Amino acid sequence: MSRHVVCRVEDLPDGAHLIVDTGGRVGVGVYNIHGEYVAVRNLCPHAGAPLCRGILSGAPVSDSPHERSWAYDGEILKCPWHGWEFKLPEGITLTDPPIKVKTFPVIVEDGMLVVDMAPAARPSPPAQATAL
Amino acid sequence: MSPSVDFQGLSLAELARKTLADAAGDHPPTFPVIDASVHPRPRVDELREYLPKVWQGRRLPAGDRYYYPNPLGDSIRESFSDAGPPGSDPALASRLLFEEAGVDRAILTPLTLGLLPDGDLLAAICSATNEWLARTWLGEHNPHGRFSGTIRVTPTRPEAAVAEIEKWAGDPRFVQIGVPLQSLQLYGTSPFFPIWEAAARHNLPVLIHADAETGVELAPTPAGYLRHFLGFAAYNPINFVNHLTSFMVGGVLDRLPDLRLVFGDGGYDLCVPLMWRVDKDYRPMRPDVPWMKRLPSEYIGQHVRFIAHSMEGPDDAVLDEWLEMGGAKSTLMFGTNYPSWDFFHPSAAFAHVEPEGRERILATNAIELYGLSAREEN
Repeated sequence: MSRHVVCRVEDLPDGAHLIVDTGGRVGVGVYNIHGEYVAVRNLCPHAGAPLCRGILSGAPVSDSPHERSWAYDGEILKCPWHGWEFKLPEGITLTDPPIKVKTFPVIVEDGMLVVDMAPAARPSPPAQATAL
Repeated sequence: MSPSVDFQGLSLAELARKTLADAAGDHPPTFPVIDASVHPRPRVDELREYLPKVWQGRRLPAGDRYYYPNPLGDSIRESFSDAGPPGSDPALASRLLFEEAGVDRAILTPLTLGLLPDGDLLAAICSATNEWLARTWLGEHNPHGRFSGTIRVTPTRPEAAVAEIEKWAGDPRFVQIGVPLQSLQLYGTSPFFPIWEAAARHNLPVLIHADAETGVELAPTPAGYLRHFLGFAAYNPINFVNHLTSFMVGGVLDRLPDLRLVFGDGGYDLCVPLMWRVDKDYRPMRPDVPWMKRLPSEYIGQHVRFIAHSMEGPDDAVLDEWLEMGGAKSTLMFGTNYPSWDFFHPSAAFAHVEPEGRERILATNAIELYGLSAREEN
C-alpha cells in the first residue's frame, strides 16, 4: 500500500489540508503550502501528538532582541500539544539542531493528488549538530 | 610595611588558617599547567600613582569582602609579605606559583575594589589598574613571560569600557577582559552590548568574576544576606546563572558568535542542571525569543568556559561521570585563585581523572581559549 489517492487537485486550495488514513497507525496530513503539496506524518517527533490537528500559521523571526517580524506565513505547522513549530513543506523545526517530522511526496496524477508513501529516493533528514 | 597585629599579638598572616601545604595533593601534573585565575593587587599608594590627578587625593575603598570576612582568613598564609597585602608581591607570587605549586603560566586578573556608586571613579580605577598591571606584573616583573593579563573594565560605564578595550586590545600581553560578577542589571541586556561587541571584535574572552563588596551591589541572594561566610562562599558563585541565562535568552550569543564567556568563580557543577531546565521548553517558547536560534545547551560548548573551584565536584567515585555530563573536557579550565584562601593546588586538582582529560582541564582548554603560544625558556 505505497500510494494513496487523496482528492481532486481543486479540492485542496492553498492553506488547506486533509488528514488521510493510509492504513498505518496515524495516517498523514496532506497540505497545500502556497501551491506545493506535502504529506506529513500525523505524529509529532517530540511526544507523539497528532501533529496535523495543529494550526497552520507563521512565526516571529528576529536577528535583534528588540525586533520581531512575521515570517513563513501559512508555512508553520504548530503541534497542538506543546507548540513545536515545523516549517512546511520541509517538515523541520526552526531551531538548531533541527528536528524533522516524517514527510512524503505528493504527486499530481490525472488531476488527482496522490501520496507516495514509498518514493524511490527520499530526501534524507538534515544532519543533527554533533553533541559537544 | 610590617604585617599588622590583629589579635593576641598574632599577625594577620599567623591568623590565616589556610596554607599552600594544606592545599597540596599527591599528584603533581606531568605537563605544564595553566593557572587561569591569579589575582594580583596593587597597594593603594601604588594605584594612586596611576590615577589621574583629579582622583589621586580621593579616599578609595579597601577592596575587601567586608560583609563576609572569612573565619579562616581571606588569603593563604604564604601570600603575606612585608611588601604589602596578599597578592601585591609579584616575586613572591612567582615563587609560590611557579616553583612551589608547579604552575607554568598564569592569567592575572586584578580585582577593582568592587562596584562603586561613581562609575567615573570606577572607570578611572580600571584604567589605572590596567596601566599598573602592564608596567609591573606584565612588565618589569615578567622576564619569564609567564604572566598574561586581564583588561579590567566597568560595565556601568559602557563607553569607557569600550575605550579601555580599544586601548589595550593590540597588546598581546592582555588576553581577556574582566568584569565583576556583581551587577545591578543582567549582562545579557542591551546597555552592556557594546562592551561584549568590542570584546568579540578583538577575540578577547570576557571573564566574569566576583569582585570586592562596597555596599552598592545587590544582595548575594535574591532573598537577601546569608548570615555566614560558609553560606556566602557556597552560594555566591551560583549567581553566574543569572548572567548566563540572560546572555542566552537575550540573543547576545546569537548576535556575537565570537563572544567567549569565562565564569571565574566556579559553577560548572550547576551548569548542567541549568541546561536541562532551559532546554526543556525552549522549542515551544521559541516564538517569544525569536532571536535565540539554538537549543540553549548548544551555546555552552561554543561560548562558555568555567574555571574550576576547589569547593565543587563530587567524590572521586563519580567524578568522571560528573565531568562527562557537562562536557568538562572542553568547557572546564583550572585556576588556583591565588592568593585566596581557597587555593586550588595543581597537585590536588582532578588527580584521578584520566590523563588526557586532566591535561585538557589543567592546560589545553586555557591554551586554546587564550591562544597561548608555547613558552620559550629564558
